[in-house]
Amino acid sequence: MNRNCKKSGQTGLVFFPAFDWRITPTHPEREERLLYTRDQIFEEGIMDLPRIREYKPRMASCKDIARTHICVPGVRDQVTEAHLISAGGALTLADALMAGEIRNGFAMIRPPGHHAMRVVHGNRGFCNINNEAIMVDYLRKQYGLKKIAIIDTDVHHGDGTQDIFYHDPEVLFISFHQDGRTLFPGTGFTNETGGPAAFGRNLNVPMPVGTTDEGIHYILDNLILPVLEEFKPELVINSAGQDNHFTDPLANMKVTTQGYARLNEKLRPDLAVLEGGYAIETALPYLNTGIILAMAGMDYSNVVEPEYRPGMHKMSDEKMTLIMELVHEVRALWDRRNTIDLGALRAKNDFFSRQKSIFYDTDGINEQQTERLRLCPECGGYLSIVSQAYHYHGAPQNILALSIPFNGCHECREEAYAEYELGMDKKAYDYVYFQDRVSDTYRAYSREKNREWEEI
Amino acid sequence: MFIGIDVGGTYTDAVLTDGSQIIAKHKTVTRHENLLDSLIAALDAVTLDMDVSLVNRIVISTTLVTNVIAEKKTPPVALILSPGPGLSHSEYRFHTLTHIISGAIDFRGREIAPIDREEVVRAGQDIKAQGYSTAAVVGKFSNRNQSHEILIKGLLDSDLNIEMGHLISGRLNYPRRIATTMLTAATKSVFAGFLDAVKNSLKQRNIAAPVFILKADGGTLPPDSSLRMPVETIFSGPAASALGAMSLSPKGQTSVVADIGGTTTDLALILSGKPLLASKGAVVEDYLTNITSFAVRSVPVGGDSTVVVKKGKVQILPQRQGPAYCMGGEGLTPSDALRFLNKTGVGDFSRAVHIINKTAAEAEKNPEELAAEIISEAARIIVNAIEQMFINWEQEPAYRIWEFKQRTKIRPNNVVGVGGAAKGLIPTVAALMNCNAIIPEHAEVANALGAAAAQPTVTANVRIDTEQGTYTLVEDGYSGKLAQGQPFTEADALKLAKDALFARAERLGVKEYVKELEVVHSEVFNMVRNWTTTGKIFDISVQTPRDILFYLGQEQ
Repeated sequence: MNRNCKKSGQTGLVFFPAFDWRITPTHPEREERLLYTRDQIFEEGIMDLPRIREYKPRMASCKDIARTHICVPGVRDQVTEAHLISAGGALTLADALMAGEIRNGFAMIRPPGHHAMRVVHGNRGFCNINNEAIMVDYLRKQYGLKKIAIIDTDVHHGDGTQDIFYHDPEVLFISFHQDGRTLFPGTGFTNETGGPAAFGRNLNVPMPVGTTDEGIHYILDNLILPVLEEFKPELVINSAGQDNHFTDPLANMKVTTQGYARLNEKLRPDLAVLEGGYAIETALPYLNTGIILAMAGMDYSNVVEPEYRPGMHKMSDEKMTLIMELVHEVRALWDRRNTIDLGALRAKNDFFSRQKSIFYDTDGINEQQTERLRLCPECGGYLSIVSQAYHYHGAPQNILALSIPFNGCHECREEAYAEYELGMDKKAYDYVYFQDRVSDTYRAYSREKNREWEEI
Repeated sequence: MFIGIDVGGTYTDAVLTDGSQIIAKHKTVTRHENLLDSLIAALDAVTLDMDVSLVNRIVISTTLVTNVIAEKKTPPVALILSPGPGLSHSEYRFHTLTHIISGAIDFRGREIAPIDREEVVRAGQDIKAQGYSTAAVVGKFSNRNQSHEILIKGLLDSDLNIEMGHLISGRLNYPRRIATTMLTAATKSVFAGFLDAVKNSLKQRNIAAPVFILKADGGTLPPDSSLRMPVETIFSGPAASALGAMSLSPKGQTSVVADIGGTTTDLALILSGKPLLASKGAVVEDYLTNITSFAVRSVPVGGDSTVVVKKGKVQILPQRQGPAYCMGGEGLTPSDALRFLNKTGVGDFSRAVHIINKTAAEAEKNPEELAAEIISEAARIIVNAIEQMFINWEQEPAYRIWEFKQRTKIRPNNVVGVGGAAKGLIPTVAALMNCNAIIPEHAEVANALGAAAAQPTVTANVRIDTEQGTYTLVEDGYSGKLAQGQPFTEADALKLAKDALFARAERLGVKEYVKELEVVHSEVFNMVRNWTTTGKIFDISVQTPRDILFYLGQEQ
């Protein structure tokens, strides 16, 4: 990690508010969402600051998407141009960072992504494709980076990012969010710890309703920063949701602009990617300004939202105690991360499997998924995923997907490819996918059209 | 008959034209200590033998404002700022007496914090006590709500000259609005004096034709209107040069204008017949402003640049040692190579042969090859800069999907060369870019011709917030209420913008130039609160087409 030599240099910004993209006219993810943020950062003259460098986003390729996702039926069916530009904005900053042009970067982009899982049948939680995950996989492929940490600071559990890196010991994922019992997507409990090969590299802190700056900074100081210190990632990424803010209409937290800005100052993310945040007038203009200034190492103390009054947020002792206990519990999980005996597991079974039931709230799709991980002694092991999607209208779609990790071994690739070929002959599957990160080729097959194609 | 005069930093030139050909032209060295004399001398030179009642209009481009700012001959201006929340107040450093006062407006023009009247009065007393007679009052988001600035001005002594930010710039960017307001306040009196002197001189010569002043964006204004914001006349020279070259080249095409001088080459772009404006405001003496100017790029290569040969490779250095060897100078320059190859007739041929032969012998090269290499190296530097200009244009941030897709790769049809070394270098530059080379006649007075051909441009930006029931005519600093109880549509918004533009054109005294309008920008946002649409925000920008009065280069 180049954290020690980050004393000079600029903060890169991509601002792609997608003023012509929306889910529906009155949806929280609508054209207006970053309008007032634009007004504030342009009026502040942020883009003129010597410490800031603005970049135009580029378009991500379908291959960039297919490296991370299995899009059903294909990438082009799941993404619009807005998605490709949004993901491309994250990649633009990744390139600028790796080229040494910037010391850190913040992609203020729409549409968001952290609820998009590996398999994508539609939009869930306002997301189709996962911008951070696409960026992480791109950084690994393009620049050979290995250890990356993603800290999800959105109020909703980053279930998509969790799903994508669940079996990957090289990617540490920590999400703190409003307890899943009171908020979408209903997951993100402490017992979701990562698969057997990546145990303890997936950490969740489900915070009680009404958590304040004090609460999130306790988690930051006593869990996130010490764990990062021990994990020693090459890069730290902030999955930068802004909906823990006390005025957010979709959640119930009590975090302020100063709380979020100070978080970024302490976390020092190399790259931050905008996620949720729907208090478009009362919070976002101030939060984005505060985060930019904090990342640029500038004084953010005057960035205060109009509704803030000193002393207005106080958390009860019970809630603070609960957070301390959660931190203690999760810290203990992290400390036990190397205690799984994979050898013993392998002796009993070639595969580890888990069942998932996934609801796509935006598009009204129910997905049933079985994911099997080969417990490979040589590499991370390939994944074999069988998924059925029950759309609101129409027949269910069945797919089979084989996914090879970046460090996939010869045997895993051969075995997975054999399963892919077998799958193409089975009537049970409407589509079959072969996601080979080793050769960076992403193949797909449609039974109905009896056609195989490659995402490029 | 049209007259154009450009009083530039080095030369003053003037032309008299009927719109199809140049009838008289004049070029002299500018006398810095007396710009008015330079201007009048040029005017007299082109009107020498004519009946001045035939003159339809005179357009003046002057470096006056540039000079007074650079030479710091402006009165000091104190600042009264109300930034409210956001960037640290210590960031507002403008090297002058600055009072930061409380009071704040938000992005929708709503008051966040009121003005503290006593604080304003105290600031005013201090400004006067410290000997300032001019002050600029600028609030963050004053383009969305002017009431605080107006209130502050009303609380200050009436013998202070006060400039308010909302009347200077309607664009978002507070620090630039402050700088532009400050520079406006600083240059008003000296510019007013200059205009009075021009008026008197014309009166003495019985010239009754209307006078216009050229602005940095290539538009013109009558003197009284230009007095509203003299700082807009800064950098009118590059605009004049590009417009002049445009007038001398085929209409509607994409061209690069290269003004090749002694040590620098200035580049401007004309995209499909429209000059490219810089995406950000001009930089004036280290101040970032909101002033719209042409997108120009300066490359450190010209006829008198120093040429060296190192390890068999020709290098052109960014500095100048003196005139070209063939003009009596000391060292080898691109001009010597051009003279040697007979691509120009300027300079002593035998001296050019001497220096090329001498350098070629030292470098063990063939003299003809060396001269050709020098020219292609100079051309290569210019071509790279042109390419970079196009890339920069493509890389300007886009905030909408359609903007992102629209900026496709385009490349020029023509390279139009003006300036001393243009004739020799431009054909090579154009060949490298697969373009037509145009070296127009009268290129030496291109600036004056550009001024003569420039037309008034009027822009109107209108912002309508139907939830609050208000609209703002941004340039006029005017806010009004929408009629109650009627649905407000995009067509209504467009009509409001167009009416605003016509009214503004009338006030600026350029009504007769406004025939057609183009909508440059129109955005509508639905405002949704609690899942129901509660209003719309319209942001509409209309302007007169950016074209020039006549093209002299049609035959090409």
